[in-house]
Amino acid sequence: MKVSWNWLCELLDIPSGLTPQTVAARLSVSGVAVDAIHPIGKGLHGAIVAEVRGKRPHPKADKLTLVDVFDGHEVTQVVCGAPNVPSPTEPGKSPRVVWARPGATLPSGLTLSPKEVRGILSPGMLCAEDELGLSEDHAGILILQPSDGIAVGDDFAQAAGLPDWVLELDITPNRPDLLGHIGVAREIAALFRHEGVTWKTSAVDVATLRGSQARTEKPVISLEDPSGCPRYFAHRLSGVTVGPSPLFYRLRLQRLGVRALSNVVDATNLALLLYGHPLHAFDFAKLDGHKIVVRRAHAGEKLQTLDGQERELQPSDLLIADASKGVAVAGVMGGQTSEVSYTTTEVLLECAYFAPASIRPTARRLKLHTEASHRFERGTDPNGLAVVADACAALIVKLAGGYLSSEPTDVYPHKIPTHTLTLRPERTWAILGLQIPAQAQKECLEALGLPVRSEGTNLLVEIPTHRPDLTREIDLIEEVARIYGIHNIPTTLPKLAMTASQPLHQGMTRYRNADRARQLCASLGLLEVMQFSMTSPERVRTGEGKSSPTQPLPIDNPLREELSVLRTKLLPGLVELLRQNLAHGLADVRLFEVGEVFLPSGQQLPTEKTHVAAVLYGHRDHFLKPTSSDALDFYDVKGLVEQLVSGLGLSLLWQKPEQPSASSVYVRVATSTEAPMLHPGAAAALLSGSSGEVIGTFGELHPDLRASLDLHGAAFAFELEVPEQPRHKPGYVPASRFPAVSRDLSFFVHSETEAAKLLGTMQQSGEPLLRGVTLLEDYRQAGHVEAGKKALLFSLTYRSDERTLTDDEVQKAHQRVIDHLGRAFPLQLRQ
Amino acid sequence: MNQSDSHAGELARLFDESLSRYQAALAEAKDEPALRVVHARFVGKEGEIRKRLADALKAAPGPEKRAVGQAGNTVLQKAEELFAERLRELHELKRQAELAKKLDVTMPGRPHKLGGLHLLTQVRLELEGIFAELGFQVATGPQVETDFHNFEALAMPKDHPARDMQDTFYLRSAPGQDPLVLRTHTSPVQIRTMLAQKPPVRIISPGKVYRKDDDPTHSPMFQQIEGLCVDEGITMADLKGTLLYFVKRFFGADVGLRLRPSFFPFTEPSAEVDIECIFCKGSGCRTCKGSGYIEILGCGMVDPEVFRHVGYDSERYSGFAFGTGIERMAMLRYGINDLRLFFAGDARFTEQFR
Ligand SMILES: [Zn+2]
Repeated sequence: MKVSWNWLCELLDIPSGLTPQTVAARLSVSGVAVDAIHPIGKGLHGAIVAEVRGKRPHPKADKLTLVDVFDGHEVTQVVCGAPNVPSPTEPGKSPRVVWARPGATLPSGLTLSPKEVRGILSPGMLCAEDELGLSEDHAGILILQPSDGIAVGDDFAQAAGLPDWVLELDITPNRPDLLGHIGVAREIAALFRHEGVTWKTSAVDVATLRGSQARTEKPVISLEDPSGCPRYFAHRLSGVTVGPSPLFYRLRLQRLGVRALSNVVDATNLALLLYGHPLHAFDFAKLDGHKIVVRRAHAGEKLQTLDGQERELQPSDLLIADASKGVAVAGVMGGQTSEVSYTTTEVLLECAYFAPASIRPTARRLKLHTEASHRFERGTDPNGLAVVADACAALIVKLAGGYLSSEPTDVYPHKIPTHTLTLRPERTWAILGLQIPAQAQKECLEALGLPVRSEGTNLLVEIPTHRPDLTREIDLIEEVARIYGIHNIPTTLPKLAMTASQPLHQGMTRYRNADRARQLCASLGLLEVMQFSMTSPERVRTGEGKSSPTQPLPIDNPLREELSVLRTKLLPGLVELLRQNLAHGLADVRLFEVGEVFLPSGQQLPTEKTHVAAVLYGHRDHFLKPTSSDALDFYDVKGLVEQLVSGLGLSLLWQKPEQPSASSVYVRVATSTEAPMLHPGAAAALLSGSSGEVIGTFGELHPDLRASLDLHGAAFAFELEVPEQPRHKPGYVPASRFPAVSRDLSFFVHSETEAAKLLGTMQQSGEPLLRGVTLLEDYRQAGHVEAGKKALLFSLTYRSDERTLTDDEVQKAHQRVIDHLGRAFPLQLRQ
Repeated sequence: MNQSDSHAGELARLFDESLSRYQAALAEAKDEPALRVVHARFVGKEGEIRKRLADALKAAPGPEKRAVGQAGNTVLQKAEELFAERLRELHELKRQAELAKKLDVTMPGRPHKLGGLHLLTQVRLELEGIFAELGFQVATGPQVETDFHNFEALAMPKDHPARDMQDTFYLRSAPGQDPLVLRTHTSPVQIRTMLAQKPPVRIISPGKVYRKDDDPTHSPMFQQIEGLCVDEGITMADLKGTLLYFVKRFFGADVGLRLRPSFFPFTEPSAEVDIECIFCKGSGCRTCKGSGYIEILGCGMVDPEVFRHVGYDSERYSGFAFGTGIERMAMLRYGINDLRLFFAGDARFTEQFR
């Protein structure tokens, strides 16, 4: 919302010490944010209005014109470069221009002096809007007509109401009363009540607008929907002459962001900007039956709105119609058929109150956000209509001539009353933490124009209908805080009352585990990234595999296709980030993300899980130039997963545990359904030790995917669910005082026998002295190992917590483990 | 010359001869093991010098044995000294050789690369820590929310103009069901918390939120952190104090703040909070558009309408709420001017903040 400082000064007596900047600063800290202050025509001095008396081309330059201008005393020749120099007509009726004579100063700071232009002396210049500080427009010089009411020789700045300042206000949706200059003036008057700001009085004398002509019939208004339109007020004006508004008003509208159209329409817009209440002027002659019907639209009823669009309406839309058809979408936009035009002589001036709820759905559905709908849907003042309509009528008469040709019609079946609110001064104290005396609270509210009386210790506040936001005591407390000054509130810390058993809030375990996963990944050398939760259906398919039944949750109104569904996995996005980072020239990339994924649940809310995922590419940390042995491989990603899993408090078993265990996980080969993004020969699944469900996969990226991403080398990835259960906290076990003894075990075994099976079998051998098994070698070199076999070397650790073991004890235990293993697998021991 | 003189002379000559060969052998030994072999050969149990001494003792007549023994001990002592001396010498040589090593210490080290947390994670954790000092517990909630939790219960009924302040992503929901939205703020967590527990409540809710915007200063996804404190006797002064504490801890002890009354549907009175511009110290610059202040968050006293929705007695309890963007905090702190950098996944960005 833009307001003109000069206009405010027409409403208020503002002491000269209060500048627009001072007022803006106070408004900003009192609830009316001022986003910007634009000076208009500041620094313009000495430019006058002059009449064009003749023009001819510059003899030496095609684009220059020699213009004879008359300042009321004499004719002077000025050189002008604009393409739109008007042709003179007869003296006194000829177009006028703004002439900055030598000695005049422009807002840019330029002071003019006589200057030779291509050999011809030019005393000053003719000005375009930008040179006058009016706008950015430099298409041509500003042209005025005699009808603008500015005499030849007059000072232009003074006549145009310059200088002015435009304050750009950010009005919050609860304050429709501030969507007009009067409301803003009311606010300024309250805030500067101690600094001598007072109201100027001005009242419209309606009687003078009636003229002496004979009365005609009042406009016929049929109000069929008093809930959507509780009040409809209309003036009938006759004898108007539609034409352009005088320059002063055109410039005022322009400055406030409204296009000047014609004097009648401009008058309605000026009244809107003054009172914050929208009005609409209909060409009375074009209203069928010379009547207005306020009703709901018929299904499929069509209406051509002023913007030239055909609108299809619904029965939920409030419509202004005449006897046969719709003429305006109520409170949103007028229709073309009854638009005021240059042939209009009789006007029906609508000043109605539309209920907010009847405007907003229509405006939203039609995507028509207009000055009118913006105000109606926030709430205008139903009881101010007559004043607004009278003022607008007066302005029409002033700008377009004519007169009020009938009594107004005012259909207002159920008057909306003012109401009274009770404010307990001590309640203000309790909310603000500041003891503002009751008298001071009363004074703040009165400054806003709210009548207040005391009843006991309470204040009874009458709420005028232009303040629809004041419905509760708390609303009054806010007004007191604003006007008294929020900066006066002291700073304290809330006292710390704590219940004995404040629980950890729901979902916090997962949240903490997610942060733990982040810390672990970072300490394992991965860099965290963050992606949008929205993704493309294509990426979901990449992550889920073509045969997966998982359907992502679609967004009804996405920004674009790439962000039209909620992600079900993190990896499809991460591999794309990998590609981008490699494209940036990075060689070794290790990225991770911890974030939410969304899956349909069949419940009201979808299932949200937190995943941790990573992509790896290139080499391990290496010294100087990397060698081929530095290249990452499957066992790097597996090693990371092992560390991550154990850091998250899960114990990684070699095999599915015999007893379900929530704090353990194990690994097996992943199927291509489980890991569609991974190489089928280098993909592993991580399974829950309790449910046996797959909670993650890891491995090498599938060669097809790698090719589609244009990656040259192998890439590795994992994606796991972050556990939802609290992290297992193991009890302390003291280190044994007795030494451990290691024995090697080396054998040939079928090459497809999984290491985990052997390790698991040894671990579950039941041998009490066996404390650990480590795989040391996997050896398959042809010539040394027969085809289809591999040679494995394990180190087995034995220890007792009670004594130092003898060689004999160790040897017997070792043999028991070998025997146990040998019963499960055909081994061929190596010596 | 008597007999014993000649015996003694012969013995001395033998010992001297052994010693001189022993000394030569010691000198030839290039390391400690070799040295010990030499030592054993001459001075060990079966060593040559010991043997010669034993032979001499055996041959010497009774009265002379003592003198022979003494002479032998002197020689053995001498041999041990020679050994120890040579050993020291060898140790010193070895030490010198080791010390002769000279590396180019300016070469780059063998890398052990650090990973790193996203800047937004770091800032979030810092904010959580600051509010933990004031007793605020972290609370979380779903990102896909019902219209009720995201709007209705926060005093934003359908068709309320305030809904325009937040462009919302809607999810397809079953007919007749409450519409589902991607939450536009983390305030639904406040509603869920208040529905689940009675006062006192003192929580902060960090998390991702979504608005239908996409430009350098607006992202369709960003992270908020909101606070809520409800109890008997909570005032706007408490809100101001809490925010001042936060601002001083996060932006610096010399940074002040101001509140500007504003409007949010779920708080009343409401305010926007500005800090003194940290770039120009309040004198006016481009970032603060010359005002000397930078807006950092919105806040207010919980609206009684919100309390009504969660079944709190607004006559008995009062509370405050505030909310800010984690990205905004990070941008101000680190001078980042494009919000989209946070979500671009560029390692060159993330690496800077390890
Ligand atoms: Zn600044």
